[in-house]
Amino acid sequence: MSTTSRREFLITGAASVALSAAIFKSVQGWLGEARQYVGRGLRRPLSGPLTPPPAGELDPVAHALNRLTFGPGPGDYARVAALGVDAFLEEQLAPEKIADGLCDRATARFAEAWWEPLGEAYEEDDEALTPVLRRVALLRATYSQRQLFEVMCEFWSDHFNIDPGKGDCRYNKIADDRDTIRAHALGDFRAMLRASALSPAMLWYLDGRANVQRTPEEKPNENYARELMELHTLGVHGGYAQQDVMEVARCLTGWTILAKKDDGFSGDLLSPLKDRGKVVFRPEAHDDGAKRVLGQDIPAGGGAGDLDRVIEIVAVHPSTAHFIATKLCARFIADDAPAVAVAAVAQSFSASGGDIKATLRTLFGTPQFRGAAGAKLKRPFHFVVSALRATNAEVADERPLLSYLDKMGHTPFRYPTPDGYPQEASHWFGTLLWRWKFAIALAGNRITGTRIAREKLARALGGESALLATVLNRQPAGGESDACKKSGDGLALLLASPAFQCC
Amino acid sequence: MSTTASLSISRDDQRTLVVVFLRGAADGLTLVAPVEDDNYHRFRPRLAVKKNEAVPLDGMFGLHPLLRPLEAAWQEGDLAIIHGAGVEDESRSHFEAQDFMEHGGHAAGGWLARFLRTALPASGGPLGAVALAATLPEMLSGAPSAAAIQSIEEFALGRGVPANFPAELERLYAQERGGGSLAAALRAAAAGTFEGLHRLEAIDVKAAPAHGASYDEKDEFARGLRQIALLIKARLGLHAASIDLGGWDSHFTQQTLIEPLLRRLAAGLAAFRQDLGAAMGTTSVVVMTEFGRRVAENASFGTDHGRGGAMFVLGGGVRGGRVLGGWPGLQPELLDGPGDLPVWNNYRNVLAPVLQRHGAPPDALGKIFPDFALAPLGLY
Repeated sequence: MSTTSRREFLITGAASVALSAAIFKSVQGWLGEARQYVGRGLRRPLSGPLTPPPAGELDPVAHALNRLTFGPGPGDYARVAALGVDAFLEEQLAPEKIADGLCDRATARFAEAWWEPLGEAYEEDDEALTPVLRRVALLRATYSQRQLFEVMCEFWSDHFNIDPGKGDCRYNKIADDRDTIRAHALGDFRAMLRASALSPAMLWYLDGRANVQRTPEEKPNENYARELMELHTLGVHGGYAQQDVMEVARCLTGWTILAKKDDGFSGDLLSPLKDRGKVVFRPEAHDDGAKRVLGQDIPAGGGAGDLDRVIEIVAVHPSTAHFIATKLCARFIADDAPAVAVAAVAQSFSASGGDIKATLRTLFGTPQFRGAAGAKLKRPFHFVVSALRATNAEVADERPLLSYLDKMGHTPFRYPTPDGYPQEASHWFGTLLWRWKFAIALAGNRITGTRIAREKLARALGGESALLATVLNRQPAGGESDACKKSGDGLALLLASPAFQCC
Repeated sequence: MSTTASLSISRDDQRTLVVVFLRGAADGLTLVAPVEDDNYHRFRPRLAVKKNEAVPLDGMFGLHPLLRPLEAAWQEGDLAIIHGAGVEDESRSHFEAQDFMEHGGHAAGGWLARFLRTALPASGGPLGAVALAATLPEMLSGAPSAAAIQSIEEFALGRGVPANFPAELERLYAQERGGGSLAAALRAAAAGTFEGLHRLEAIDVKAAPAHGASYDEKDEFARGLRQIALLIKARLGLHAASIDLGGWDSHFTQQTLIEPLLRRLAAGLAAFRQDLGAAMGTTSVVVMTEFGRRVAENASFGTDHGRGGAMFVLGGGVRGGRVLGGWPGLQPELLDGPGDLPVWNNYRNVLAPVLQRHGAPPDALGKIFPDFALAPLGLY
């Protein structure tokens, strides 16, 4: 994304906010008009080998595509079969080396929204930013070639969930997406954790900004301290006590966000527009006494350094390795994460000091992963995106798609509580009807702003049966082919079928 | 599918239990304020409900003024309140406490699901339970059949579907064999969805609420309650319904945060009660939350996670107009841990008599709430 300041780009010197807003509105309007042009050509060209999977069950290539990506599109199976699963994994673990022109084009009209610096986001219409975040998430998942990276971005967005509906998160979640999630999704867990702790959106969402101790009587706000251990690192049974929550809260007192108006927590650190949202440490609001966290002493006088001590203690804690490994295995292997795989993945997490790539390499190498083909339910977002990818759909307007996800209760960045969307299949069985309705509408080209070229696609793949095998990621079974013929709409039926709900 | 037989259900004694879950830990001391307890005002210098503004209940408590729409139910003896209600789990974690509460202890599946399974005849049918939500809550996890819906009208495959399509889709799911337990669960989920589709086609969704009741159509919670009322009045065999009202996690500027919620809770429940009229005699509404909040307010005009909270039981023949379960008071030495209202009424002791009222035989209660010595409160 562009790191050029929009402010620098548009205006120089001290322009009034009103003028800037007016210019910005006009840019927005222009972008809106431009939209009608950029939708075109957002289809993967159907060149190269398009041979669908030959087997009647999910083979290792199909399995890798099901789990490492948001679902294969036409030609993906042939490409990965030729490349080999291991090489495909290595390719996906180096997203920076993967050209991503289609995705860049798909999201170009929203590039302006990834603000640099953050303060400028506050000039934006607060109703506009969160929808942009959601639309871009859908486009990236659908069009990016860096599929494992996007899958991990979704994983960490749940892990460090922030509902942009709370307070200033509507302005600064977008920076969290950029600086916490996307900056570290395949990087170093400790760095991601620290970025999250100092993310303005997280400081808003879990009230860290209001965690102050200015007088001995004031009680710290425990919200973030608790979730840091319960949800982000150790896990609820990870061996911390109420006392640890209170001690961590004390360690983190004083971190806040530069505000436009002092609402009692930012002190007198008011800021010019460009600095709004900047995270600062207020020594006078910090409890600088000695603390003891998870059995480790943190001496008095640590000041801002207390935060780093806390991150150090929790990020490498054995419970954290186990907790993160369990969540990763639940995402990539089975809801009920197999203990043997969890142990191996946790070991890899610990040994590598929280290196996410090394951890994933271990996970995808376990026999438990290899033996888990087809046994996971796709969550609704995965289901919708995999259907778009399988049909090589062209998306010119994401909003109707997001409204389907609303019905299925799985719109990106709309989960209210800090635990993130659930992973377990049992939470999602109630969504079947909406999946079916989506499948029928997509196959029938009845979703506004989304088109599939059904006949053309079938022709390019070599006929209707090749299309069905591409969609299923394996050859259809006898009963499936038969039902497709009788149903009156074979494509809709397969997208709605039990097999397509699983990965 | 043989839907005609099941659609003819119209037993006048059909009982429905509606569970309203206030997610995020609603502050019981604001919902039902001990306005006559001096300690209350001492702990909450800025946040306490004022004595002269509260809706008086008895010699000790007052409802928050925004809950005034519930005053009639209280005066008519149709609303019982239980204070210091909650779980024995001391984690003060939303997720842990909700999980514990919805599962009914460390048990597989939800308590409401086990109630439906153990206490009801197998003919309960696919509309035995609904959740007005995008996904099923844990309390309904493992129910014989339970559908998550957001509106009755949405519950249809829609126009433009080829004639044979639904039958072929139904057949594909019925024949689903691969993938082990996931296949079985998908098969069951699809069967429940189809059965529900067939039954819901019979409801007149345009029917106006009864008895002059009026729901705020802009409010998702009120809309959900209206849908539940439609299902109850249509007598489709609905045994249980669940609906959430979330957002109560008021660490920060509590009043601003929860006042709209108090308004929605009271208006929604009052409209629902009016709409159902006499059917409230066979309908119980239980309002619960995962835990209450710390007695003392914090520096940011909010309250942190606590223990005991408030529960409501509305309708279903409850002997209301009473705050049940005692009130030891807010003397600092009586408080729990960092200064929380203790839990002296385990939530199971509130639910157990309600479930009995709704047809759970006494010997089923031990299965619904395993590993717990029940001491049911005298609600009836």
